[in-house]
Amino acid sequence: MKQRILHSALWVGAILMNYPFLWMMLTSLMPLEQATKNKHGIWPETWNWKNYLDAWNAAPFGQYFINTLAISITVTVSVVLTSLLAGYALAKIPFKGRGILFALILSTMMVPFEASIIPNFVIISKLGWYNTYAALIVPWCANAFSIFLVRQAFRSVPNDYFDAARIDGCGEFRFIFTLGVFLVRPMLITVALFAFLGSYNSLIWPLIVTSSESLRVIQVGLTVFSGETGVRVNLLMAASTIVILPTALLYLITQKFLMEGAGQAGIRG
Amino acid sequence: MRFSFSSIWILCLFSFGVGCGAKDNSDTATFRPIQTENAEFWHRQTTVTAELMETIVAQFNAENPSLPIEPIYAGNYGEIYRKVTTSIKAKTLPALAVAYENMTAEYAQSNAVVELDSWVDHPEFGLSEDDINDFFPAMLDTNRFTEYDGALLSLPFTKSVLVLYYNKRVLKAAGLTTPPKTWEEFITQSKQIKERTGKFALSFDVDCSTIDGILFSMGGQVMKDGKTQYDSTESIETFELIEYLFKEKLAYQNPPGTFNDETDFGNDKIGFILRTSSNRPYLEDLFNDHDAWGIAPLPQSDLDNPKTVLYGGSICLFNTTPEQQEAAWKFVRYFTSTEATVQWALGTGYLPVRRSAANDPKMQAFWESWPDNRVAFDCLEYAVPEPNISGWQQIRNRVARAATEVISSMSTGQDAAIRLKKDADAIISKQRN
Amino acid sequence: MLNHSGKFRPLMTPWIMLFPAIAIIAVFGTFPFLYAVHLSTVDESSPANVSNGLAYYSDALRDESFIQSVTITLWFSCGTLFPVLFFSLTIALGLHRATKFKKILNTLYFLPYVTSIVAAALVWRAFLDPTQGFANEFFAQRGWEPQQWLLEPRGVLHLFLPDMFSPTTGPSLSLACVMVFEIWHSTGFMIVIFLAALSVIPKELEEAVRLEGGTEWTVTRHVVIPFISPTLLFLTIVGVIGSFQAFSSIYALTGDGRGPLDTTQTLTVYIFTQFYDNGLIGYGAAVAVLLTLALILLTIIQWQLAKRRVFDVS
Repeated sequence: MKQRILHSALWVGAILMNYPFLWMMLTSLMPLEQATKNKHGIWPETWNWKNYLDAWNAAPFGQYFINTLAISITVTVSVVLTSLLAGYALAKIPFKGRGILFALILSTMMVPFEASIIPNFVIISKLGWYNTYAALIVPWCANAFSIFLVRQAFRSVPNDYFDAARIDGCGEFRFIFTLGVFLVRPMLITVALFAFLGSYNSLIWPLIVTSSESLRVIQVGLTVFSGETGVRVNLLMAASTIVILPTALLYLITQKFLMEGAGQAGIRG
Repeated sequence: MRFSFSSIWILCLFSFGVGCGAKDNSDTATFRPIQTENAEFWHRQTTVTAELMETIVAQFNAENPSLPIEPIYAGNYGEIYRKVTTSIKAKTLPALAVAYENMTAEYAQSNAVVELDSWVDHPEFGLSEDDINDFFPAMLDTNRFTEYDGALLSLPFTKSVLVLYYNKRVLKAAGLTTPPKTWEEFITQSKQIKERTGKFALSFDVDCSTIDGILFSMGGQVMKDGKTQYDSTESIETFELIEYLFKEKLAYQNPPGTFNDETDFGNDKIGFILRTSSNRPYLEDLFNDHDAWGIAPLPQSDLDNPKTVLYGGSICLFNTTPEQQEAAWKFVRYFTSTEATVQWALGTGYLPVRRSAANDPKMQAFWESWPDNRVAFDCLEYAVPEPNISGWQQIRNRVARAATEVISSMSTGQDAAIRLKKDADAIISKQRN
Repeated sequence: MLNHSGKFRPLMTPWIMLFPAIAIIAVFGTFPFLYAVHLSTVDESSPANVSNGLAYYSDALRDESFIQSVTITLWFSCGTLFPVLFFSLTIALGLHRATKFKKILNTLYFLPYVTSIVAAALVWRAFLDPTQGFANEFFAQRGWEPQQWLLEPRGVLHLFLPDMFSPTTGPSLSLACVMVFEIWHSTGFMIVIFLAALSVIPKELEEAVRLEGGTEWTVTRHVVIPFISPTLLFLTIVGVIGSFQAFSSIYALTGDGRGPLDTTQTLTVYIFTQFYDNGLIGYGAAVAVLLTLALILLTIIQWQLAKRRVFDVS
């Protein structure tokens, strides 16, 4: 009985939380006149599946998707690699200055992003990376949050594994990339998911460092529907639905690993 | 042990080094061009108008193949402003970009903008005396900056005026046949619309330019002798008009940054909107029927002395290489020539920048097809531009705030106007330091 | 600890491992901060980089809009962090105890976090539209007065109890709407992490307490909370940092970030405004430095306070 109440409550909550998406999907199927009337709880007068085709054709979304996926996947892989190595070093190797270094790394989390836009842009342009993939990828290849998470994960793994490996004569790097990865695999997947999401959903940085159409990313692409004429709401909703799908799928797939991974995230006093 | 500590220091020094390298060349005269094969032009046109822009650029490039212009969509005015200010810090700029005049004033503080007077006087490809006089004076004046001794720093590009759009169907339902000519008539008609149809008369988009436009039409000024005039009688009247419209529930506020007022207008929900003449094409699309809507000049306090606000963007050239500057100047000269400006005006909602456009047969045909098409052009005679001083952007925000205070009943019109003047003048004096 | 030098681990090893991460973080994370510090002490209107000392800092502390911004940031932070922690923990507990459809339910609760903020904000803006949105329609049906929602600069407290509170006390209705959006959007993130933390609690402990006659509440209070206290601390610290740095949702919902009468202008929006609307880069940099230092301080305080209360259950 208690389970039934619990389940109903959870479903009601889930529907309430996702009502905006329901609205989004219903609107994406409406004709423009109906969509601009903004009424809620109304069924589309006609089911314009063609909206999805129109939305797709309104801008080179195919290109945008390829760009965004290329960038996000590269960033994700880099973040996983850099945090794997850094997290291991900070967790398992005692060396002088480790504490200070870790604190310095963490402090970068506290700098507001808006403040770093201009200096980062200065660097990008000095390096000649304006309007290139490098500008969109490199600054995001490592971040303090991911390093922190992986370090936590390694700390909760007993030292026995490392001692055993050393006794067996296994090189440290080899160890990390085989057994180490396996031990913190859940956390690595968590880190990967958040890195991917961050890259996929970013808007301001791509706007600033690129100008040409061929480098445009999806979020910038969505702004094409908000022209001077007003917002083509139905097409924007169709485009947004298309845009959300990959990330929703990604979460569905990685869920299981996330559970185990994020469990290693706590801070002990 | 020494090794690890010194490594940390090396890292700090490394980042400092990159930093110092970046701050090294402080404000030398020129900036690196963003690309050298083309002269990059940042604009804000999308969809249809972007295509027309590209056509005109292609026409120019065909005659000037040495350094072609490349038009690039770089966001709206605000976003372009951000990109440019960021790029200035990085010492790299496109060849030219669109900007509001006060933005140009701020770019000029970093020596980023080219003075156009020497180009106008250029022996080979300058502008003749006749050409200069052919520009609408108000449009050209607003590109001269008193802060920089009256130098010409930009040329008009996408100019428009504030007009009154009226919905004939809604007016008819309220028993009205012609749009209001004075503000008194406007209020009477608004009340009539509310009483007879129950609908709101106006969806008001809070924007400094709209407020300044109303202020002008009341016979007032925005600046005089270096101080704002927001505490003048006319300004108080403007804010009290807004106060009245909202208190009597004759108007509601348009969510900022949206065009809901236009869609509401198109759906016969309101009788009037106060918007720029450049939105005409979009309303054409919404209505598709000249019997349903019309364009009228802004209502006035004094019909013998009509005024409205002239706004819109200009183009400025950036201080990059001589080749880029030359290509950019030639393009701007072409774009503001009578032929190109007519082409641009006919394909968008913007106004031509040359008086001789009135003699162009295509222009005249356009006016004959619907008399209302002339309204905005005729307003150019008496359209007044807003100030182009630096710091004006902050004042614009402050003006919008004053209107919001009035709209949300947190202040009376008079108090809001007086406080606004104080704050606006403070902003100006801070700039001077 | 044993000395691990020698053949297994050359002294350089940790530095080799750390190098890629440090290189990127130093250049794109630390340098901007140092550059901002530099910018904040230089008089920006002088081309020759004349030093301005701490003038911008004292300007900030005397500026009304800065103080207003700090207040708004505090409202925003407290107003989002506590509800998010509460809701996400409660929901996570519920999901943890559920037995069917877990995968789908988890995904549904995570979805808001996964969405592009631009698209989600558009939906919310339409919902809260004063003339056409469903919120006011709902109000009209019940005979309540329609509200301006995201356009309303007057305080929520004032609107509920006009006689007790002035319109400028407390968060504006607009800010309240932004906070609700932020709570909606961020809850998913914490749910995921809480769920994971809950999944490592040994079931035997919970069973033991239940067998001894404990209610669900007792189990929760005496077993679950202590067990996940490290995670709770982690999420609180991350949550504070995140709430102080929130920007995209505020910007997307209000169109300009500042909101009606600047009532949604948190410190990050304030910094953005100084840089990009007012062109005051030195001043903006000073505020950014202040914000960073405040966050570092807050984090250290939280860490110290919680040290004793967090249980190390390893």
